[in-house]
Amino acid sequence: MTSLRREPSLLLALLVVTGLVLLFIVYPQVRVVATPGGSGYADFFSGGSWVRPLQNSLSVTALSTTTAVLLGFVYAYAMVYTDMRGKPFFRLVGILPLLSPPFVVAAAYILLFGPRGIITYHVFGQSPNILGLFGIWGVQTIAFFPFSYQLIADVLSRSDARLEQAARNLGAGPWQVFRSVTLPLTRPGLGAAILTTAIYVLEDFGNPALIGGLYTVLPTQAYGLISGFGDLSGAAAVSTILLGLALVIYVAKLRLDGGRQYVTVSGKASSIPRPPVPRWVSWAAFIACSLCALVILLVYGTLVVSALTLAFPTNLGFTTQHFEYVGAHSLSLRNTLVYGLVAATLSGIFAVLAAFLVERGRWRGRRVLDFLLIMPAAVPGLFFGLGYATAFNEQWLDWVDRGALITISMIFWNIPVGYQAAVAGLRQIDRSIDEAATSLGASGLRTFRDVLVPMLGGSVRVGFTTTFVRAVTTLSVVIFLFTTQSTTATITIFQLVGDFNWGGATAFTVADVGMAIIALVVIAVLGRGRVSLGAARG
Amino acid sequence: MTPQLDRRSFLKAMGIVTAAAACGGGGAGAPAPATATGAAPTAAAKPSGRISVYSALNESTNNQFVAAFKAATPGVEVDLLPLAAAGELQTRIKAEKASPKADVFIGGDSSFHDGLGKDGLLETYESPAASAVAKESKDPNKNWTGFYFGIFGIVMNTDRVNKEVGGAKPTSWDDLLDPKWKGKLILGSPITTGGGYIFIATQVFRFNKDEAKAMDYMKRFHANVAQYPGTSPQAIQLVSQGQFVAAPNWAHDILTEKVKNPGIDLAIPKGTGYEIGAVSVIKGTKNPVAAKAFVDWVLTKEAGELNVKLSNRVSVRTDVPPAPGAPTLTSVELVNYDRDWAAANKDRLLKLWQQTVGI
Amino acid sequence: MADGQPGSSAPEVLPGAAETAHLRVDNVTKRFGAAKAVDNVSFAIPRGAFATLLGPSGCGKTTTLRMIAGFYDPDEGDIVLSGKRINQLPAHRRGTAMVFQDYALFPHMTVKDNVGYGLRVAGVPGKERERRVAETLEFVGLGGLGHRWPNQLSGGQQQRVAVGRALVVRPQILLLDEPLSNLDAKLRESLRWEMRELQQQLRMTFIYVTHDQDEALSLSDWIAVMNQGRVEQAGTPWEIYYRPRTEFLADFVGAVNLVPAIARDVRGATAVLAFGGARVPVGLPPGVSVREDQEVRLSVRPESLWLASAGATAQGMISLAGTVARRAFLGDIMRYWINVDGREWIVDQADPGAGVAFEGSVSLMLRPERAHVIVPATPAELSSG
Repeated sequence: MTSLRREPSLLLALLVVTGLVLLFIVYPQVRVVATPGGSGYADFFSGGSWVRPLQNSLSVTALSTTTAVLLGFVYAYAMVYTDMRGKPFFRLVGILPLLSPPFVVAAAYILLFGPRGIITYHVFGQSPNILGLFGIWGVQTIAFFPFSYQLIADVLSRSDARLEQAARNLGAGPWQVFRSVTLPLTRPGLGAAILTTAIYVLEDFGNPALIGGLYTVLPTQAYGLISGFGDLSGAAAVSTILLGLALVIYVAKLRLDGGRQYVTVSGKASSIPRPPVPRWVSWAAFIACSLCALVILLVYGTLVVSALTLAFPTNLGFTTQHFEYVGAHSLSLRNTLVYGLVAATLSGIFAVLAAFLVERGRWRGRRVLDFLLIMPAAVPGLFFGLGYATAFNEQWLDWVDRGALITISMIFWNIPVGYQAAVAGLRQIDRSIDEAATSLGASGLRTFRDVLVPMLGGSVRVGFTTTFVRAVTTLSVVIFLFTTQSTTATITIFQLVGDFNWGGATAFTVADVGMAIIALVVIAVLGRGRVSLGAARG
Repeated sequence: MTPQLDRRSFLKAMGIVTAAAACGGGGAGAPAPATATGAAPTAAAKPSGRISVYSALNESTNNQFVAAFKAATPGVEVDLLPLAAAGELQTRIKAEKASPKADVFIGGDSSFHDGLGKDGLLETYESPAASAVAKESKDPNKNWTGFYFGIFGIVMNTDRVNKEVGGAKPTSWDDLLDPKWKGKLILGSPITTGGGYIFIATQVFRFNKDEAKAMDYMKRFHANVAQYPGTSPQAIQLVSQGQFVAAPNWAHDILTEKVKNPGIDLAIPKGTGYEIGAVSVIKGTKNPVAAKAFVDWVLTKEAGELNVKLSNRVSVRTDVPPAPGAPTLTSVELVNYDRDWAAANKDRLLKLWQQTVGI
Repeated sequence: MADGQPGSSAPEVLPGAAETAHLRVDNVTKRFGAAKAVDNVSFAIPRGAFATLLGPSGCGKTTTLRMIAGFYDPDEGDIVLSGKRINQLPAHRRGTAMVFQDYALFPHMTVKDNVGYGLRVAGVPGKERERRVAETLEFVGLGGLGHRWPNQLSGGQQQRVAVGRALVVRPQILLLDEPLSNLDAKLRESLRWEMRELQQQLRMTFIYVTHDQDEALSLSDWIAVMNQGRVEQAGTPWEIYYRPRTEFLADFVGAVNLVPAIARDVRGATAVLAFGGARVPVGLPPGVSVREDQEVRLSVRPESLWLASAGATAQGMISLAGTVARRAFLGDIMRYWINVDGREWIVDQADPGAGVAFEGSVSLMLRPERAHVIVPATPAELSSG
């Protein structure tokens, strides 16, 4: 990328991106952070009620991130490197945990694995007390491995088979190649995956709220302060602690990267296939993925069964009556689909553009923008929505459609995953490829559009998918923003759960998740069509 | 599902009765200037237009409640924003103060309304219909009016209680200290649920604010507790599923769940705590006449009966009979619950509790 | 040409190039952090020349090329294209297409799309574009491969796509960054001639960066040898090869004998170099001056020396007595290492198939006009840059 001064369009793009980030990420958060005021912070911090939740948050983040990234890596490795069977199936199952509307999925875990759980008690005769640290750890591992899986798979699939083939030719065994070539090459991607997963675990509210019991973490403390006691000031102070932790993780990530460059897509084309992995590795991968898929399917199977029985698990009579709620609340489903699709599309595009400006730029202050683009991951959805409700609920802004505001909040709350994926992707594309386009007369933005965006297809897809599924399943972001006309599926689910209508809640969850899966499949099919059209274009 | 026919015919009857009530006794406030407080109601303006109601009532209550109001007050349209979480609604009203989006806030403990009143976000209003409400159940500053009570009770899994604890319903909170309950009780986390904290406060009031005795109780109670789940409804669900045996929780929620799962039961120990469900008018409402008409309607006997029927809660009006199986304020022995004291001492009590039980 | 020390900043130009220079680099400096990657470099390249920047890795040649392309901004100095300063012109408006070391083909486009990309950006209409792409593919010898994907091509084919892709936009100047270094030796050599021929046909100004002196010598009209961010010397391949101004240069461009000697009888543009018992009269290259008794180097290429049987002499030649230390058969030549007064000289004898191999005592024959004086840089001069 040439200097911004020379390319007004690039400068303009940067100004627009920065402006949007300031308006839709920074400003609402500033409003939240400013809520408690000086004395509010003094009271809160001297009160000390935050110490234990902070310790708990740190412990559970360390544990869950480690296992989620490990599982994500195994899953990604299996998908990219092995020739195991059933990859399309595993690909779909691998994103299911992202599709977990609040309360319902965590509740399904307890139904299955609780003290009187279907699996634990009725199958194995065990009565484990899963509420607490171990429960959170287990559930978060499953819930968050899809983030690391997606990010790592994207990186692995772009790593250069030639290097691995070369190492094999030099006599290295598969394990050695993995350790000495594959692993170091994927380091930036791994860093991004660990960082992103850690921040999302840190911010997770739904799982600790239902599985955590008294194991209070910062987000559940914040939620409790608002929900149980209307203590907005204390809750905002907790949110500020979370932002501080995100900053720490970010600095750690900068150290981890160490400014190294690992270019694996150079301009030299190669058609060398990846070296085959031994049979037993494929089988081990298949078994690991199958176990993981089994747990996921059990959970979602429980939801489907609950939706189709009178009162699961006490009354197993078949019924379709719960699906009446789906018809009755079709507006919220429709809104969810529209907001999710628009937010995912714009978020994917914005994330890649921002990544291009930050990663390929040579301007001052890009580290700040970099951090601001990762920060939303650390903001619990509740506070992201609250920030919007506070910042944009002004009389002169009343003409703004609430649906639009909700969509915008979803775009920016979900920027980090797509952004991280795009940064990791760009780092793997040799700059000479952009420069080739530039030297042929393409401006910075044209190069971005014609060359980088098509090559970053995987990253755009990660951003789109993640944003979409999170938009479809977020409750906390919309809870302060929705109106009668702009209500969403998760609000309906929340209402049904609060009404002890487990059948209705699960039926609606099944509809919501089913709708999301259908949308993703349709988009994947359409996307494939477009890719081949693009290739044929003269 | 409760029979639909029943409700419909009920509503029809409601519509006639309440319409008459609204025209006759229900005073509609004059469109008061935004700065005016406690404007005297005049009979001049007829409520019309549209109001936005933030409702913390249960999903199953909302729609029929609104339909009944519309039938009683022709010409007023209601945009109901349902969120069965009063804390979130309170926060939302605070966040929206620059340009209020709600005209009426209904449901949730009075403490949530009181917080808004103290922040100056509520329009003071004393409904003519509030005369039927005891003064303990309405705000002396006229920011809010109570219209139902939520009573704290215990949900029990009948099957497991019979098999494992001997089948007897606890009649006092002290019954829960028996070692046979060990590992079988749960309580909504006092840190993250309002109900969990009300439980602690109830013990303090039960011992006449002798905190040492209350904490001793909480310590012995803790020895029997397996878990403190993060939300109140979850605690009921866990007992309903049989994951645990019993949990102190809201009586009306327990009865709602009992409709779905007859395998649970409700016990109300003596000396229990309660919440006052309130309704209030938001400051800055653009349609004060209709908003006040809504409050007036909520306080009628008919609305009270409908709410009792739909939510199993207890009306503040003595002339409204309780739902079948539901406790009433006269049938249970309530603790002398000091709402202001409980709110003011929350942080201190929670910390004390955490130290006491060692978590 | 101005009087100058080795590595000076005086413009290094072909005679007459200054006026007709297609590209001028004037006193350009580029720093990366504290390090100067390019240090006050100046040169001028005439229109239609095949110009080469030659040097070891890290010498600043690629950085210089990238500044010309517009990928880096010079910290100081000007880049002037066709008489216009282009420092402020963004890379995509400079008309300087570039061929990259790793070809930088767009993996998501076919060969045709790769080659046609520059035309698409320029808004050339479809028909015209297709015609020019087809023409160019023929020109670079890839007719019929337009529908292939880059990963279906051999290295040499990919390299031709890269060149075709750059040529099709008819750039003012074609910049080539080590375009042959990824290919095997044989292919490299054949493509080298193609490259030269291409340039001759198009009469386009090429700026070529390489670390391979054979490539530089065989391709170029003009070479600038760079070292440590500075231009050590610039000139025609012949000048660079036979009249290197510094020891680094002499050594970098092929094998060389650098013999310590003392300058005697300095008279204007001539001097006599004394070493051992020998005295070799040499002419001083323009801009080079030596003092009487100054320590200098006598530089002579191995192929400019002859061997004869011991004791042989010849008219106009200086004969040094030596012994053969070892020899190596390199195919086209036989390379000898001859010990003369305890110092090894390298001597290449052409056509080794015809003659006999020398052994034992020999005469090393040196023609004074093929020898050349190099004034070593003093420490003071080294640090003055």
